Amino acid sequence: MAKTILVVEDDNFLSGLEGKKLKEKGYEVLIAGNSDEAFKAIADAKGAVDLVLLDLMLPGVDGFEILKNIRKDEVIGKVPVIVFSNLYEEKDVKEANHLGISNFMVKSNFTLDELIEKIKMLIG
Amino acid sequence: MDTTEETNNKTDMDLTTLDLKGLQEEYLKLKELSSVKSDIVSIAAHQIRTSLSAMKWIIKMFLDGDVGKMTPEQENLMRKAYEGNDRAIGIVSELLLVNKTEAILDKQYTFAKVDLAELINSVLFDFTGEAYAKGVEIIFLKPERIHNAKADKDKIRVVLQNLIENSIKYSDMHGKVFITLKELDDMMQVSVKDTGVGISDEGRSKIFQKFYRDPEAEKKEVVGSGIGLFTSKKIIAEHGGQIWFESGPGEGTTFFFTLPINK
Repeated sequence: MAKTILVVEDDNFLSGLEGKKLKEKGYEVLIAGNSDEAFKAIADAKGAVDLVLLDLMLPGVDGFEILKNIRKDEVIGKVPVIVFSNLYEEKDVKEANHLGISNFMVKSNFTLDELIEKIKMLIG
Repeated sequence: MDTTEETNNKTDMDLTTLDLKGLQEEYLKLKELSSVKSDIVSIAAHQIRTSLSAMKWIIKMFLDGDVGKMTPEQENLMRKAYEGNDRAIGIVSELLLVNKTEAILDKQYTFAKVDLAELINSVLFDFTGEAYAKGVEIIFLKPERIHNAKADKDKIRVVLQNLIENSIKYSDMHGKVFITLKELDDMMQVSVKDTGVGISDEGRSKIFQKFYRDPEAEKKEVVGSGIGLFTSKKIIAEHGGQIWFESGPGEGTTFFFTLPINK
């Protein structure tokens, strides 16, 4: 069965590219542009999300808050999360690590193929 | 003292107080302005980086043939676009680093006990992406037990960022970077050795000058502002330490700096 990845990204163009590439590699993709959409997608999927690809700079509730709420969630609290952002301050990395992320990747430093390699290493 | 002299002295004192107050107000205004400027640069740079990320991924899709086969000429042009885009990403990263450095340098020095090994590991983590992208292996050697340094942690972080970033940037693909930490008499010594292009004869006397860029570095077409080493020298001098380098043609470069041990 195909693994499901939730992409939380407010830039439609970027999430479109990420989604296209992930689908080509055989993943099911859910796309959310903000916190509400992210938790609606998780609820609609009945928690069947295998990995979250999370941007940090989002309108309203930011990526850190989403991450905190994911960790509190009984169903998907332990899901692997890759932070995929252009923020890369030490404090951001520390905070994200503290919240138990699997990887912190800077968008502009990686190609989508390299991102998929990381995802494969985490969930196959 | 006659009355006229007394009056003059009083006026001078009042003026001095007024001048100082005015200068202080001006200083605070400039500081606030500088902070606003720093925030604007940071936000703009992050937005630009997002657009450049999209460009990078799209061009890569073309180069990988994901959207159809290209002619050799088209592929050549796309490769040039990819490299140009990566240079632009480098410029934005440099801009962010300079912006952050300025903000840190504006703060007063606060000397405290600093675990240099922990600080080096933390900076190395920040450069994981850059090292991975160039296939550069980083080896950090340190004794099991070592004293702390007496330093301003944020400012020494800037020095380490500059030296480690340079060592990765100027290394060839799949190069190696060796970082060592040791004690020498009553000083801690850090060295950062790369297997990169080395420093030219011309650069030997100028490398720590503001805005100077070595011709060997220019040849690599690597983005740089020429303020990293200048800033590092200034910071290390404020700590009462020293910074220097050893470099030979084709042998890469080793930068060293020392800091007082925290006693």
